[in-house]
Amino acid sequence: MTSQDSTPPVVVRLDGVRKEYGESTALDGVSLEIRAGEAVAVMGPSGCGKSTLLNMVAGLDRPTAGTVTVHGEDLGRLNETGLALFRRKRIGMIFQFFNLIDDLPALDNVALAAQLTGSAPAQARRRALELLGELGIADRRDTYPAALSGGERQRVAVARALMNRPALLLADEPTGALDSRAGEQVMDLLIDLNQLGQTLLMVTHDPRLATRCASRLIEFADGRIARESTLEPTP
Amino acid sequence: MSGAVWRASRAAVRRRRVQTFVIGLVVLTSTVALVVALGLLAAASGPFDRTFDRQRGAHLAATFDPAVTTAEQLTRAAHRPGVTAAAGPFAQTVVTVPPHLDTAADGDYHPPPGPVTVVGRADPGGPVDRVDVWSGRWATGPGEIVLMRPPGQTWAATEGIGRRLTLPGAPPLTVVGFASSLSQTAGAWVRPDQMPALHPTALQMLYRFDHAGTGAEVDEGRTTVTADLPTGALLGSLSYLTVKQDMTGTANAYLPFLTAFGVLGLVVAVLIVANVVSGAVVSGFRHIGVLKAIGFTPGQVVSVHLVMVLVPGTVGCVLGTVLGDLAARPMLRTVFMGFDNGYFEATLSPWAEVLTLLGMPVVVLLAALGPALRAHRLPAARAISAGSAPGTGRGLRVQRRLGGTRLPRAVSLGLGLPFARPGRTVMTLTALILGVTTVTVATGLSASVGAFLDATGSAYQSVSYVGDGASTTPPTDTDAEIEAKLRALPGTARLAAAAPVRVHLAGAPQPLRAWFLRGDREIARSALAAGRWYSGPDEAVVGAPFLKKHGVRVGDRLTLDLDGRQHTVTVVGETVAGDSDGLTAPWETLAALAPDLPATRYVNQYWVQVAPGTDVGAYNAAVKAAEPGLQPTVTGDGTSVTVSIVGSATVLTLLLAAVAALGVFNTTVLNTRERRRDLGMLKSIGMTPRQVTVMVVTSMAAVGVAGGLLGVPLGIAVHRLVVPAMADAMDTTLPAGALDVWHPSALALLVLAGTAIAVLGTLVPARSAARLTIAEVLHNE
Ligand SMILES: Nc1ncnc2c1ncn2[C@@H]1O[C@H](COP(=O)(O)OP(=O)(O)OP(=O)(O)O)[C@@H](O)[C@H]1O
Ligand SMILES: [Mg+2]
Repeated sequence: MTSQDSTPPVVVRLDGVRKEYGESTALDGVSLEIRAGEAVAVMGPSGCGKSTLLNMVAGLDRPTAGTVTVHGEDLGRLNETGLALFRRKRIGMIFQFFNLIDDLPALDNVALAAQLTGSAPAQARRRALELLGELGIADRRDTYPAALSGGERQRVAVARALMNRPALLLADEPTGALDSRAGEQVMDLLIDLNQLGQTLLMVTHDPRLATRCASRLIEFADGRIARESTLEPTP
Repeated sequence: MSGAVWRASRAAVRRRRVQTFVIGLVVLTSTVALVVALGLLAAASGPFDRTFDRQRGAHLAATFDPAVTTAEQLTRAAHRPGVTAAAGPFAQTVVTVPPHLDTAADGDYHPPPGPVTVVGRADPGGPVDRVDVWSGRWATGPGEIVLMRPPGQTWAATEGIGRRLTLPGAPPLTVVGFASSLSQTAGAWVRPDQMPALHPTALQMLYRFDHAGTGAEVDEGRTTVTADLPTGALLGSLSYLTVKQDMTGTANAYLPFLTAFGVLGLVVAVLIVANVVSGAVVSGFRHIGVLKAIGFTPGQVVSVHLVMVLVPGTVGCVLGTVLGDLAARPMLRTVFMGFDNGYFEATLSPWAEVLTLLGMPVVVLLAALGPALRAHRLPAARAISAGSAPGTGRGLRVQRRLGGTRLPRAVSLGLGLPFARPGRTVMTLTALILGVTTVTVATGLSASVGAFLDATGSAYQSVSYVGDGASTTPPTDTDAEIEAKLRALPGTARLAAAAPVRVHLAGAPQPLRAWFLRGDREIARSALAAGRWYSGPDEAVVGAPFLKKHGVRVGDRLTLDLDGRQHTVTVVGETVAGDSDGLTAPWETLAALAPDLPATRYVNQYWVQVAPGTDVGAYNAAVKAAEPGLQPTVTGDGTSVTVSIVGSATVLTLLLAAVAALGVFNTTVLNTRERRRDLGMLKSIGMTPRQVTVMVVTSMAAVGVAGGLLGVPLGIAVHRLVVPAMADAMDTTLPAGALDVWHPSALALLVLAGTAIAVLGTLVPARSAARLTIAEVLHNE
């Protein structure tokens, strides 16, 4: 871990974070810093606590011990509503199984994130359409999730995550449910976003995703950081 | 059933504790409502006929002149075709008890004044008119008498077994029992060999006919049994239809109400159970897919789902029947107590319970079978992905449109939710509509009853009964002195003296109850429905039932007969209140009928309207101090009948509202459970707990508003059907305004009632949805 004066500011800081579910320990004292513009990949065997780590950073769950600070905000001091508002402003999330609302077409799924903050529908839809255009699926705007391909669904999910210009994009197995071609598309998308300055924290089983997209790799085992390494993105 | 099916069902029940509990609770509450509703329907369907059939009541009770015909002729005449059973001849006499016998001091019991029919009968049973001896025993020895009274009721505190009874011109008799005869064949019975001492004047015969459904058929029967008799043998006869008309007037009035509420309760209970059960099976679709994937046959899958709902359903049904039984019995007793002196049995019909016990599981089974069979046909893959399957086209279009409105997104998302599962929404909506209908009818009914009471109620607050010398001390003062004393009391605003006297309509066998009033008659009772009040001794007013029964109209003349003295009055007005034999006339009319009897003997109560601000209790204490021979009481606001009607309406309303709210609760639990994944996602993109609550509550509040908007007009329609039917059955003219009982603000409140029921049902699941830990949801889905 390096820290020089000219380095970008810290976006995420975990300090001795533990998470226990009854008897079992999912996170066993994790300390970690992520700086603006970094793309960090977390890898490790199933059940080692990767998703739990993402949930802590997103404020979806509270640690048993330790502190989580994102964008200068100590999540432990926020109540449920505070956490919700925090997620709205600072966090975008994408999941392995997309988690789109089946009753809404692609455009409305994306617009939803802005409408929750009270944006006018027309304005929200305009920005959603822009994002869909940037992600190359503007023509699928009126299609319902059930009729979209896996890759298309994940791109809609990415668009939704980016709606509120989050400081941090969290991705849990974003390519896990996709075939290799669709996986490639999503990877390219993440690389592009990172190159535009988007801070990225992703969890994956896929070494290709890690090596292609990430600048830093964290290897996890039994709820702890086993190894950290800096990667040179492959061209 | 195979072990695997049983194990899978048990696991399913255990894994869905909340849902199992909700099914049990909904079935339980609905079962209670169902038992009460069916009990009401059963009790309301012919209360007279059931008791009449059990007692093998007399279709015709006839009296014959022993000077013209003989017992042998009568017996032979009763053996004609068309007569299924006959009893008699029994010796009969009519004894007239004069008002306030002067032998009061002897400690004997004196029945209320008026004619009493005494019949000599050896036993209470027989082929016709099986009299219920409900206290004591039958008169089997000399000097014994049995009094006819409604079950469980005596007419005075002093009336009781062992009392010595004094009838004019008869030896002293001892009361040994009380018995009821729905056929009203006698006022008292003695042993046949006791009759000669009572100077019998007639022979009584009781008949049952093959066909006696109509008045014409009863008339035909009478012709049959009198055909072979000498002319002039028949003195008089009484058709059971006349008795029935008399007895069931009030009960009939409430049948439309009881039936309406019974049907409402039935439909709501069945609907909610169907909704809850089918919802449970639908939400198990994913589970179904998994079961199929691991090799359950379609039949086994269906069995698992039936068992899963039948377990809590059966438990709820059994418990609900027990609770319903406990709730319905006292309620029926109270409701029917007010009806016609309690001649009818207000017991809970066992078939209400049997039908519920058998019917409710069938409802559960049928409701589960539909979706379970759908699951049966569902390919495993589809079933596994169900629950996240896209909704119908219309639902989607609505969601789409709502997304474009300026409403807060949480609200517009909530408004769209009901469209995602239209079937479930329609069932919930129907239950809510009927819930609101019930609330509307119930409030309207109490308002109408209130309006009716206002029009018929008394304007006096204190009634002082004159001591009768048996249970209470008689006054020493004269009538005029008492009235002067009362008028002198501070607080007396207006006063009327009332004398209820039995008089006959010339030529008619049954007596009328005439009220002769003196003083401030306008505090008496009842608004006028037509005509005017009397203004002299030759005028009287009667109620609509009187007009109908006696076939008279306002303007007709009636000849009254009191112990042979006759006086003719003109009916000048129709009162809203009044029974079929009641007549109100001025004091001077009584004076004309009984010039030689001291009028004071007839007055048995004084009505006082107190001055505003007077404490009636204190006033009555002053009355008692001034005249110890008076028993002052405070008059009630309503009759027991109306109170029990409003009371039972309230019980049923609360019950149905609770069932409807439970239905909403269940729908919300199902909806939020199916949408856990969506909820988790919405929270992950920043939906606050409050927004989640708003969204979930909005989804059902919308249904609640719709339920209110549709239920209120339906309730008003039912009210407009039921209330006139009640008035019609009572032969009463509805007072003006009895139907227009709702103000616009009250209507708005009723619409809100639907929303309130819905919001109440949603609150708990909405809050738990808001508290849902997202990490857990996303972890599990
Ligand atoms: N909500 C929960 N309740 C109980 N235990 C949990 C919960 N979430 C996670 N766990 C446990 O915590 C541990 C870490 O889980 P986590 O989901 O973080 O693993 P993971 O590294 O993401 O695994 P995978 O690669 O399979 O997704 C596991 O043992 C898991 O069973
Ligand atoms: Mg994981």
